[in-house]
Amino acid sequence: MRIGVFVCQCGTNIAGTVATDKVAEAALSMRDVLHAETLQYTCSDPGQRAIIDAVQKKGLTRVVIAACSPRMHETTFRRTIGQAGMNAYMMEMVNIREHCSWIHSDIDIATDKAIDLVQKGVARVRRQVPLYSTTVPVTRRVLVIGGGVAGIQAALDIADSGLPVTLVERGPTIGGNMARLDKTFPTLDCSSCILTPRMVEAKQHENIRLMVNAEIEQVRGYIGNFEVDVRKKATCVIEDKCTGCMICQEKCPGKAPDEFNAGVGQSKAISIPFPQAVPMVAALRKEYCRQFINGKCGVCKKVCPADAVDYEQVDEITTEMFGAVVVATGYELYDWREAYPDYGGGQYPDVVTSLQYERMLSASGPTAGHVQRPSDGAEPKQVVFVSCVGSRDESVGRPLCCSVGCMYIAKQAILTKEHIPDSQSYVFYIDIRATGKGYEEFTRRAQKEFGAIYLRGRVGKIYPSNGQLVVMGTDTLSGGPVEIEADLVVLATGFSAARGAGELARKLNISYDQYEFLSESHPKLRPVETTTGGIFLAGACQAPKDIPDSVAQASAAAAKVIGLLSRGEIETSPMVAAVDQLRCIGCFKCRDVCPYNAIEALELRDGRQVAKVIDTLCQGCGVCNVACPPSVVSLKGYTDNQLIAETMELLR
Amino acid sequence: MSDIVSIIQRVLGEVDLVLGWTATGAGGVAAPDRFQTAAEAERAVFNATCVHNLAVHLPRLKDKTVGIVAKGCDSRSVAQLIQEREIDRDRVKVIGVHGLGGMIDVRKIWRLHGYGVPVDARIDSLFIDGREVDRKEYLRQKCLGCRDTVPVVHDKLFEAQGPPITGIAEAATVEAILPGTGLGASLTAAEAMSAAGEDESRPLSELFANMNPTERRLFWREQYSRCIRCYACREACPMCFCRDVCIMQTTDPHWTGAGVDAGEAEMMQLIRVNHLAGRCTGCGECERACPVGIPLMLLMNEQNQVIEDLFGYRAGTDPEARPPLLTFDIKGDSRSEK
Repeated sequence: MRIGVFVCQCGTNIAGTVATDKVAEAALSMRDVLHAETLQYTCSDPGQRAIIDAVQKKGLTRVVIAACSPRMHETTFRRTIGQAGMNAYMMEMVNIREHCSWIHSDIDIATDKAIDLVQKGVARVRRQVPLYSTTVPVTRRVLVIGGGVAGIQAALDIADSGLPVTLVERGPTIGGNMARLDKTFPTLDCSSCILTPRMVEAKQHENIRLMVNAEIEQVRGYIGNFEVDVRKKATCVIEDKCTGCMICQEKCPGKAPDEFNAGVGQSKAISIPFPQAVPMVAALRKEYCRQFINGKCGVCKKVCPADAVDYEQVDEITTEMFGAVVVATGYELYDWREAYPDYGGGQYPDVVTSLQYERMLSASGPTAGHVQRPSDGAEPKQVVFVSCVGSRDESVGRPLCCSVGCMYIAKQAILTKEHIPDSQSYVFYIDIRATGKGYEEFTRRAQKEFGAIYLRGRVGKIYPSNGQLVVMGTDTLSGGPVEIEADLVVLATGFSAARGAGELARKLNISYDQYEFLSESHPKLRPVETTTGGIFLAGACQAPKDIPDSVAQASAAAAKVIGLLSRGEIETSPMVAAVDQLRCIGCFKCRDVCPYNAIEALELRDGRQVAKVIDTLCQGCGVCNVACPPSVVSLKGYTDNQLIAETMELLR
Repeated sequence: MSDIVSIIQRVLGEVDLVLGWTATGAGGVAAPDRFQTAAEAERAVFNATCVHNLAVHLPRLKDKTVGIVAKGCDSRSVAQLIQEREIDRDRVKVIGVHGLGGMIDVRKIWRLHGYGVPVDARIDSLFIDGREVDRKEYLRQKCLGCRDTVPVVHDKLFEAQGPPITGIAEAATVEAILPGTGLGASLTAAEAMSAAGEDESRPLSELFANMNPTERRLFWREQYSRCIRCYACREACPMCFCRDVCIMQTTDPHWTGAGVDAGEAEMMQLIRVNHLAGRCTGCGECERACPVGIPLMLLMNEQNQVIEDLFGYRAGTDPEARPPLLTFDIKGDSRSEK
């Protein structure tokens, strides 16, 4: 056995705290090590050449590279020693940067630790055997979860490349939150005018299958081959028959909250959310339906000219294979009511959220675009906007910026002036964050051309007085308290992750943060990937973002998906579990705990049942190793003997 | 009391063999036996010295249909073996023993009255050498405060109709590890005794709870130093069914060395405890089988209690249950980065 040890200085990143030459010198006295050297940047071209030279000149059979985290350069060095003619897995990376130089300051102690770590790596690589990867075919079909603008964009981009896409949407229509917006900043485009063509395109696209009123039930499998159960919820309407004539909605006597209109106005128990819904199909909500509450009504069934109403409908679960998944579950508005009792906690009808105001401004909204205060229907003349409600507010545990509030306030202030020319808007703000293209100019326009008065400060209290609302705040620029009598107060509410985002993340086995926004794999270099291969993120499910960013990320995710599936097959890691079948006792505890269903029973010629690992399903998580009583399941590249050897070195 | 012989004979009509006891041990105490015919079953007995957990034999009789006489505690092992698919429920007929008044610690009798003294240990009374004694004095520690008087799984029920028992179940008392008891002797154990305030019947766990980590370590080192690596603990355990491929004896992977010393014994026992996490049914056979009297159940009981506290789970109480430590459940909050 001929082992070479390469100690990286990483400029001063490592060499600043670890005496790399001493580490290399110490390595030379380790068992089977016959070459050791330090390199300034091992990952650089000269560094890699030095490794190849040493391997070829000295006939090295195993290599230890003491450098950064294997997360950074393991692939690099595997390729390097592969180029040198070795099996790419006969290499061990020892992390003396993140685990050593960066976290210590004393050179002597850090050097000693680095030597220990190298010793450990040598012990481990001595027990390494060549490993070979295989390839598995991928399912060339894609699942997009969430039918908002990000999901639609991702689905269209992927479908345009020729891959079939299933777009699953929880609600009765695609379009998401963007469909509820009146105009978009900074161009004041009509939101639905630019979105509905995309919605229709998604519906008409030959490669896209729309599933509305559907949720992800369970996800099995892994990158390239996910097996997904989708629950199609019973809506009591046969989708293929419904023509979208809306007669049922007209005649339905069951009042129901209007979710599409953010609670402004009322809807019916059977309804179509808005006239441009895609698909244009009614859905019945049993909790508000007289037929289901009282057991008698049946009006919708009687009036339906297409005979599309079916009260007996039940949830259906379909199972399909997908090669990749794009998660685009979006956001919902932060529920401010409990956290802000000083703003009335929801008891003053004329304190509304930005989305409610958006619906009041919209021509397709419940007031047909006439701004009316909810309490008495009067046209408000004094409108106060309060920014950062449930964002940038440590006191309610929401330090995050919603990233769009400043912009949509400016937009709504402009629209207010356009709708009610004799109105006056006031904006309480903390900072104006207007970093996008044309954004800064837009907020200036709101103030200069549309006369919105911007006051820098937080609002302390809102209370009703003489049919109006008094907004008490501070103006930190003039340094004094301000009181404004308002007809209508609009709260710029922050973003929350969509309801159930965490639960979905757990089904998909991807990470999420404390607000249930889904976590990207790397904040800079892998912004659309998740920590689980084959699952990508698009839009506001990852963090609050505006429409252009959501669309851009959706296209990025689509590019990743197309790239992944374009090859038709993917290389699997050879670092999978393996069973010593001669010694397997057939208890199948490994199969019980395997999260990937990667273990099956195999009958040997003597009739014994033993466990067998399905290499292509195994993700190398190692749970089976722990569960195996006689310890005969091991992870290739992480065998018990390798781990024991490492531990023994540290304990010496 | 219905007749154990006729019950076994009836069950023999459905199975290849029945596991039970005959009174062929020293002084007439019970010894495990197997019965294949009605004639053989004539010699079957059931008395208060039938302490052995016969479930240990079940995984080795997979190719046969087996009847087994099982006390409440033993039935938990049967249930756990069913849950782990080591035995097929359909191939096992369980004769559950209900209403026991606690089992007799034969070793205590031998210690006090001499090995091989004639013993007549009935369910409700105890005669040593023809004289009746207070059976409460000779009850096994683990039977006090028994929580498993009703067998978890059974096809037939054998009503023993013993007296009620009260007390606290314990792995061992200080007495069990003292010098002069024939079960090991050392300075540290003597020190343990003095720490126990000379009260030899005080539960060991109570004493142990008051030790600091260093004392505990010394205690265990001292206990394990007596280990002769006979593997009786493993052989007596119904849940240790790896047999020939047990990791204690393999060199690949090389988890334990072959040496007989406290360090290796400790490693071996810690692995054993770990392997039985959430699987140990607390039958105490390992401790009973240990020829050098290491209080093995002290650690095991502690672990069983922790698992019960954490997961509300007792091994062997439900053949259908999913054991918490053999479950991969992604639904927990483990993936959240909170």
